[in-house]
Amino acid sequence: MLRHIAGRVGQAIVATFGVLTMVFFVMRLSGDPTLLLVPEGATAEQIAALRHQLGFDRPLVVQYGAYLADLARLDLGESLVQRAPVAGIVGERIPYTMALAAGSLVVALGIGIPAGIAMAVWRGSVLERALAAFVLTGQSLPTFWSGILLILLFGVNLGWLPTSGADSLGSLVMPSVALGALTMSTFARMTRIAVLDELSRDYVAAARARGLSLAAAVGRHVLRNAAIPVVTVTALEVGNLLAGAVIVETVFAWPGIGQLAIQSIAARDFLVVQTVVLFVSVVYVGTNLLADLAYAAIDPRIRMGA
Amino acid sequence: MMRALGLLFLGLMLATPAFAQKDGLVVDLPGDVATMDPHLQWDTDSYTVYRNIFDNLVTRDATGKIAPQVATAWRYADDRTIVFDLRTDITFHDGSRLTPEDVVFSVQRIINPAFRSPQLSQFDQIVSAEVTGPAQVTLHTKTPYPALMAQLVKLSIVPKAVVEKLGDQRFNQEVVGSGPFRLRAWQRGVQTVLDANDAYWRGKPAFRSVTFRAVPDASTRIADLRTGRADITRGLSPDDAEALKSERALQLLTVPTERIAYMFVNAQAGPTKDKRVRQAIAMAVDRDTIITALQQGYAKPVNIVLTPANFGYVPDVKGWPHDPAKARALIKEAGAEGATLQFLTSPAYDRRLNEAVQQMLGEVGLKVDIVTMDQPTYLRRRQGTPEEAGSLSQGRWSCACQDADGVIFPLFRSGSIWSKFANPAFDAEVDAARTILDPGKRLEHYRRAFEILRDEVPGIGLFQDVAIYAARRELKWAPTANEAFFVMDMKWQP
Repeated sequence: MLRHIAGRVGQAIVATFGVLTMVFFVMRLSGDPTLLLVPEGATAEQIAALRHQLGFDRPLVVQYGAYLADLARLDLGESLVQRAPVAGIVGERIPYTMALAAGSLVVALGIGIPAGIAMAVWRGSVLERALAAFVLTGQSLPTFWSGILLILLFGVNLGWLPTSGADSLGSLVMPSVALGALTMSTFARMTRIAVLDELSRDYVAAARARGLSLAAAVGRHVLRNAAIPVVTVTALEVGNLLAGAVIVETVFAWPGIGQLAIQSIAARDFLVVQTVVLFVSVVYVGTNLLADLAYAAIDPRIRMGA
Repeated sequence: MMRALGLLFLGLMLATPAFAQKDGLVVDLPGDVATMDPHLQWDTDSYTVYRNIFDNLVTRDATGKIAPQVATAWRYADDRTIVFDLRTDITFHDGSRLTPEDVVFSVQRIINPAFRSPQLSQFDQIVSAEVTGPAQVTLHTKTPYPALMAQLVKLSIVPKAVVEKLGDQRFNQEVVGSGPFRLRAWQRGVQTVLDANDAYWRGKPAFRSVTFRAVPDASTRIADLRTGRADITRGLSPDDAEALKSERALQLLTVPTERIAYMFVNAQAGPTKDKRVRQAIAMAVDRDTIITALQQGYAKPVNIVLTPANFGYVPDVKGWPHDPAKARALIKEAGAEGATLQFLTSPAYDRRLNEAVQQMLGEVGLKVDIVTMDQPTYLRRRQGTPEEAGSLSQGRWSCACQDADGVIFPLFRSGSIWSKFANPAFDAEVDAARTILDPGKRLEHYRRAFEILRDEVPGIGLFQDVAIYAARRELKWAPTANEAFFVMDMKWQP
């Protein structure tokens, strides 16, 4: 077990290192950051002077070495645009994205799992077809569009919820629904498959033969077994939520790291972009690692390498 | 991080009412403030906020003329030395008096290369500043510099003592100015709240407070306006404006700006090296259609690569007429039929305009290949050698100085990174126009410069950009060509 954990942690570190290396080089190979930082009317001499001041005229490998050395000291640098420490700029936004991810998970789990169970238990019924249509809608609507629809309906026409911002709990509702919709569909489909799979097992037939009601059989036995794949998917979906947050946060003016990424790209604040990408990949690799380890803890066949 | 978490929950508890209070103004901006320090970033969202906190050395009046602000009067001691008389009744928000030392400090700070101000190129013609009297400062320029006053409209005066005490980084967070509003809170990514400065020397502002919110999506900003969550917003597209026309509670405020939409035509490489091909392109591009179809009328026609909001605009230099038949004939004469032109672009530019030009040039026998790349690559190629710069590209240029010098000098003067054009006669005209002070003589130089540009076509003026704001109908305000956003000039209509 320990060897298994060590192996997985090692892989995670390699993956994170690979990502930060790639981000570093891709962001520099696409062009000289100096060109993005100078005003339009700057002369060639002014550009050259700034390039030298910022150290972008050094060989790429030297810059990479300096970046790694800074990173090792947990120094993420100073934003060239905002003139403030990058760690603070990104750190301030993380709680917002965490709140949004949590809200979305509540929506996704709260609707997706009951819907999935209902679709499996009442398979072939009108209810299943209605729920399937609902799930398909959640999966197909692009968030930039569903977000605007939500704003028009609940914000403008009904006036129930604030149209934008982050100043009340109400502000969190619509972004959570918009972002949670896709994940909700994934949960519903996963739960349906897992429950259906378990329902066809002999132990369910045996339980029913003992006189257990369907509800009791599902509640006591099926759900416990069906939970394993759902737990795994939850961890993996965190990555998707972070990716989706880029759009949802922009539409709803929610000040998380997704919105920060877009603003920093527009403002050409490339050190901030680099740090956001690094953060997202660390979260992604981290949740995958957790899922891996949780899976191994639950299912002995995996840690034995069978 | 814990502090930010705490702030978030504090914010959640102190839920503000959805409707703006009448004595406060709520502004929805597309983005957050990048820097509160007025000597750093000059992007529209940043200066929209911080220019309300500071006073400028001079300003522009409603007609666009340079007018006194901190300086009451100015005169040229010689053609490189300008003496400014200053007001003595201005105090900063911390109660200290604004002195000539603060003005000199502000100039020296922004022109200091070590400070790395992104605005350096706007002010680097100033060599030095000195206090020459109890209420007087003198500036020295490298050469006689006619655009100086236009640049000084943007020079915010910061308090020397405060900046030196706090240091640059903290000053950027806790700015202290002398303007009509003072900074109350800057919640990064969310909003900036300013309070009225009741001791302001020009009088009490009409609003007790102003809140600038960062709302990136235009549809969301419009929803905020419709629900009363915001009172005014900027950065709307012509499509947004059309959709808002039927809203009775709202009004559209539009103004032609100093921003020129233009098309670059490479005069030094590729098929467009032939002047006839460039002239044919000028006749093939139907600018009226671009204005009516793409801009829905939210644009003004121009005859040259400059707007009437800039000094140096010459209305009587004729633009090329839209004449596809002549264009086709000229292309045939140049032997360029079927030639392929590379149209370099990035996602920062209006894709529809690229495609419209592609179709218009296709109709006269030129094949246009639209090459889309990321912004850094685009800039590297566009600013690189003539061979890598492609044949065509589009842009929207504003020097924020309302002077031809800030537009056609960087775009077309040989040796400038943007220019793919080398014409000694043109160079001589724009060089002369930037080093003499007499406006009449400058205008003559620009007239000749624009005549050369018309004949040579290293670029085509497409239209004068129009800034579109939407606001509650009760708000009284007239936007200006330089896209300044002074809340001091706004009030509720009785």
